[in-house]
Amino acid sequence: MSTGGVDSRRVVFSWVMLAPFLVLFLVFVVYPLIQSAFLAANQTFGPGTRTFVGTKNFELLISDPVFWKAIRNTFIYALGSLFVQLPIAFLLALALNSPKLRGRGIYRLIFFSPQLMGLVFVSILGALAFEKRAGLINQALDAAGINDLLVWVTGNDAWLEPDWLQQHVMATLILISLWLYVGFNMIYFLAALQSVDKSLLEAAEIDGAGPWGKLRHVIFPSVKPVATFVILLSMIGSLQLFELPYILLESSGGPDNKGLTIVMYLYQNGFDLGDLGFASAIGWVLALILIGLALVQVKLTRAQEVNA
Amino acid sequence: MSAGQRKINKWILHAILVLLAIVTLVPYVWLIIASLKGQDDFFSAIFLPPGDGAFGIGWDKLSLDNYRALFDLGFEVNLINSVFYSATTALFATLICAATGFVLAKHQFRGRNLITLVVLGALIVPPTLLLAPGYELLYDLNLLDTSWGLLLPLIAPAFGVFLFRQAVIQSVPDELLEAARIDGCSEWSVFFIVVLPLVRPMIGAFMLITFLGMWNNFISPQIVLQTADKQPLSVAIAQLRGVYKTDYGLLTAATVVSVLPVAALFLFLQKQFISGLTSGAVKG
Amino acid sequence: MHRITNTILALRGLSSGVWVIATLFVISLILVLVRQPEQEGDLQFWVFSPEHAEMYAPLIEEHDASHGVKLDMTVMSIAAIQSRMMSGFFGGLPTADLIEVEKAVAPQAFMGPVDAIGFHDLTDLLLEEGLLTQLNEPSLSPWSVDGRVFGLPHDVHPVMLAYRADITEAAGIDLTLAETWEEYFRMLRPLMEDKDNDARPDHTPLSFWYTNQDLIETLMLQGDGQLFTPSGQPVIANERNAFLLATIVSWCVGPDRVAIDINEWSASGHQEKVDGLAIGYIAPDWMCSIWKMHVPGLEGKLKLMPLPAFEPGGRRTSVRGGTMLGIPKTTQQFDRAWDYAKLLYTSPEVARQLYREVDIISPVRSLWDDPVYNEPDPYFMNQRKGRMYIELAPGIPLRPSSPYNKQAAIDVRDAALNLAEYANRNSVYNAEDLIPEAIRLLDRVQARVEQRMSRNAFAAEDLAAGDGEAQ
Repeated sequence: MSTGGVDSRRVVFSWVMLAPFLVLFLVFVVYPLIQSAFLAANQTFGPGTRTFVGTKNFELLISDPVFWKAIRNTFIYALGSLFVQLPIAFLLALALNSPKLRGRGIYRLIFFSPQLMGLVFVSILGALAFEKRAGLINQALDAAGINDLLVWVTGNDAWLEPDWLQQHVMATLILISLWLYVGFNMIYFLAALQSVDKSLLEAAEIDGAGPWGKLRHVIFPSVKPVATFVILLSMIGSLQLFELPYILLESSGGPDNKGLTIVMYLYQNGFDLGDLGFASAIGWVLALILIGLALVQVKLTRAQEVNA
Repeated sequence: MSAGQRKINKWILHAILVLLAIVTLVPYVWLIIASLKGQDDFFSAIFLPPGDGAFGIGWDKLSLDNYRALFDLGFEVNLINSVFYSATTALFATLICAATGFVLAKHQFRGRNLITLVVLGALIVPPTLLLAPGYELLYDLNLLDTSWGLLLPLIAPAFGVFLFRQAVIQSVPDELLEAARIDGCSEWSVFFIVVLPLVRPMIGAFMLITFLGMWNNFISPQIVLQTADKQPLSVAIAQLRGVYKTDYGLLTAATVVSVLPVAALFLFLQKQFISGLTSGAVKG
Repeated sequence: MHRITNTILALRGLSSGVWVIATLFVISLILVLVRQPEQEGDLQFWVFSPEHAEMYAPLIEEHDASHGVKLDMTVMSIAAIQSRMMSGFFGGLPTADLIEVEKAVAPQAFMGPVDAIGFHDLTDLLLEEGLLTQLNEPSLSPWSVDGRVFGLPHDVHPVMLAYRADITEAAGIDLTLAETWEEYFRMLRPLMEDKDNDARPDHTPLSFWYTNQDLIETLMLQGDGQLFTPSGQPVIANERNAFLLATIVSWCVGPDRVAIDINEWSASGHQEKVDGLAIGYIAPDWMCSIWKMHVPGLEGKLKLMPLPAFEPGGRRTSVRGGTMLGIPKTTQQFDRAWDYAKLLYTSPEVARQLYREVDIISPVRSLWDDPVYNEPDPYFMNQRKGRMYIELAPGIPLRPSSPYNKQAAIDVRDAALNLAEYANRNSVYNAEDLIPEAIRLLDRVQARVEQRMSRNAFAAEDLAAGDGEAQ
C-alpha cells in the first residue's frame, strides 16, 4: 500500500470529521456575521422587508441619548461586578484555601450553588426579594437597622424604604449578580491558589514575610494569569447583560431606562420593533467594544510577560 | 501568633463563612416555602405562615396545590422540552466539537491552519451580534418556531472546538496514535477507542456545562420558538408573569421545578461540573 | 470481535455524567416523538385570559355543533400572543384566524402604514350590519387608525375611585362629597397622622406613584391631557399636559405627599391594601375582579365613587386598559371568523357573564339596560357598581391610536420621574412651581417622539407598491 493512499484516506477522513462542524459553522456563524454587516446599513420591518439607509443607523445610534444611557448602565454593572464581586470572590477563595479549614467542601458547594440557577429563575426570585417595603431584602435591612443607618448617613429619608427596582436598578442588579456569580469566580481563584508553589511560600516565611508580604510577593504574582482571565471573562459577560434586567423590569428598560442595557436596547429594537438593521448596528458597536477590551487585555498580558 | 489567638481567628473566620453561607441559602428556603403557600398567605409572613400548629406555625396552610396546578396547566410539556433541548445540545455539541478538535489538533491537510484561525477568531464574536441576522436566516430557511431552528445553531460552538483541540494536544501523544494505526486500527477506531477515552474528563465537563447552559438559555428559545408546547421552562416560566396579575405560588413552584433537575444533576456530578465550568481557564 | 469489546471498554471509561445525559436524551426524544400533535380545528383563536376562555368555551361548542365547524381556542400569555402575532406579521408565520389583543401590545400591530396593518379593516362590515352605531364610541378609539376600525372592542373600562369606606366612615368622613382631587386630599388629611409611630402616615390618601406609567396615562387622560392629535401628530409639549404632570407629581413629593406607591400586582402590595396603607385606589371595572381574587380580605370594606376631578366640573372618570378581537389578514376563512367574533363580542349571554365573572361592562350600548348591571355587589358594600360604571361609560376620554402612543406614554412616565427627582433635589413641592420644569421635560419627550417618527424609512407608498421588498 502506498503512503499516498493512506494519506488521501486520512485527508478524506479529516474532512468527513470536520464536515458537520464546518457546515453548521459556515451557515450559522460566518454567513450571519457577513449578513449583519449588510443589515447594519438597512432598516427592516421584520425579516421580510428591508430598505437601505446607509450609515443612518450609526448616526442615529450615536445621537440617541437612550443608547448612551444603555452604555452607561452596562458599564456601571460591569465595573460594579469587577470591583465588588471579584475582590469578594478572591477573599472567599483565600479563606477556603487552607486545607485545615473544616467543612471547606460544604462551604464551596454552598457558595457555588446559585450558579446553577438560570438567570431567568434568579430574576424572578430577585423581583420578589427586592420589592419595596415587603420584599425579603428590605425586611432584613429594616430588621437589622441598616435602613435607619442609611437615612442617617445620607440624610435622605427615601432610604427608609428603598425602592430597589425603580430607583436603584443597577445596584440591585449588581447585588443579585453578586449572589449569583461570587461562588463561580471563587472556584477559579481557588484553582489558581492551589497551584501556588508551596516552597515559595515557605521560603517567604523563612525570610520573615508576614501574611501581607506573602500575599503580595508570592500569591498575587502567581494568581495573576488566572485573575486577568477572570476579569476579562467577567467583563465580557457583564457587557452582554440581558436576562436579569429583562425579566426583573418586565421586559422594559425600567423607569427612565435606569436598567436598560446594551443588549436589551438591541432586543427592543430588533425584536419588539422589528428593526433588525438597527439591531445589527448596535450589535457591531457592542462587538467592537468587546474586541477592543480583549485586545487591551492581550496587550497588558504581553507587556507583563516581557517585563517578567 | 499565639495558639489562643489562632483559635480566635479560626472562630471568626468560621462565623463569617457561616453567615455568608446562610445569606446564600436563605433565598432557596424562601423559594421552597413560598411554593407551598397559598395566595393569601404569600406575604402574611416572609417564611412560614403563622397559625396554630407546632411552633405557632400554620403547617396546615402548606400544600402541594401549586405544583398540582402547575401540572394541570401542562407544565410537564415544557419540562420535557427543556430536557430534550439540553440533552440533545450537550450530546451533539460534544460529538461535533470533539471530532473537529481532534482533527484540527492531529491531522495534517491543506486548509487546517486557516480553519483553526477562523475558529479561534470566532471566539471573540459576541453571540448577541448574531441575534438579528440569525433570526433573519432562520426566517429565510423556514426554521422559525421549530426545534431545528433552535438546536442547529447551538450544536457547533467554536468554543467547544477550541477546548477539545487543547485537550487533545495536551493528553493525546502522537506515538499512541501511530501505535494504534500500526496495530491496524482504522481512523474511526483511533478516534473512538484511543482519543475519546483520553479526553474523557473534557467530555464529561463539556457535556455538563453545555447541558446547564442550554437549560438556562432564555434568549434563543425566546426569539426562535413561539408555540407554547415547544417552549422550554425558561421561556414558559417568564410568561407565567402576567402583565396584569401574577400567581406567585405558581411562579415559585415553577421555579422550583425548573431548578430541581439541574440541582440534582449537580449534586450527583459535582466534581465534573466544577472542572467543566473552570475548563475555560486552562491556559492554552 | 475484539474491536467491539475494545469500544465497549473504551466507552465504559466515560464519566457518569455522559451516561446520565445520554439516557435523558433517549427518554426525552421518545417522549417528544410520541407526543400526540393536537387535533387541528378549522379555525384558530388565541386568547390571553383564562377567564375569557372559560366564558367562550360553551358558546363556541354550541356554535361549532350547529355550524359543523371546529374552532380551536388556545390560551396564551399576552407576551406570547405579542411575539407570535408580531413574528406572524413580520415573518409571515401562520397566525390565528382570530386574535384577542390587549391594548399594551396592539400599537405594535398598528405600526407602519395603514395598508401594512396585519388585521382586516372591519369598518365597512360594522357599518353594514349596524354594529358601529351600537358600540360605545370612545371604546373604538384605540383600535382605529385614520377612522378605520381594525378590531371589535371587548370593553369600555371606565375608571372610578375605590376607597376604604370602613376607615373613612369610622373617621366620619364622607368622601362622596369630594368633587376635586384637592378636596379629596384635604378631607383625608386627618387620617394621615402617624399614630403607630413607624415614621410614615398610617393612611395615605391615594395609591399612585410617578413611576406607574398606566396610572399616569389614566390620570392625564382624565384631565384631558393629549399626546397626539386625532391625525397622529404629537402634541406632547402643551401647557395642559405640563399642568397635569406637575400636579400628579406634586402628590408624590415633599414631606406632605399624599400618594404612596403600593404595588398593584404583587402579593406584598395586596397585603398593604389590607393593612390600609392607602385609602383610595384608581379602579377600572376589571380591577374589581382582580381585587376580589387577590384581596378577598377587603370584602365589605371598599366603596366606589367617580374620580375626583382636576377642576370643579371636570371629568369624573377615565379609562385604563382594553382588549380587541382582530381578524388577521392571513386568515383563509374570514366569514367564519367574523361569525365567531360577533357571537363572542356582541351576545348578551357573554356580556352578562363578562360582568358576573370579571366585572367588565360591555361596549355594546343596547346591552346596557340588562338587569345584571343592577345587581348589588357585596364586595363593594352592596353598591350597584355595574350601573355606576355604565353611567360613566359614555364619558370616558378618547385615546389616540397612534402606534407611537405607547412609547410616548413611557417617555412621559420618565418625564414624571425626572420631574419628581427635580422636585426632591430642589425641594420644590408645589405643582405650580413645577410647571416650568415639566414643560422643559415634555419638550424633550416631544423631540424624542418626533425623532422616532421621522426614523421610519418605510414610506406608505413604498410598501403599498411592494417596493419595500428590496430583498
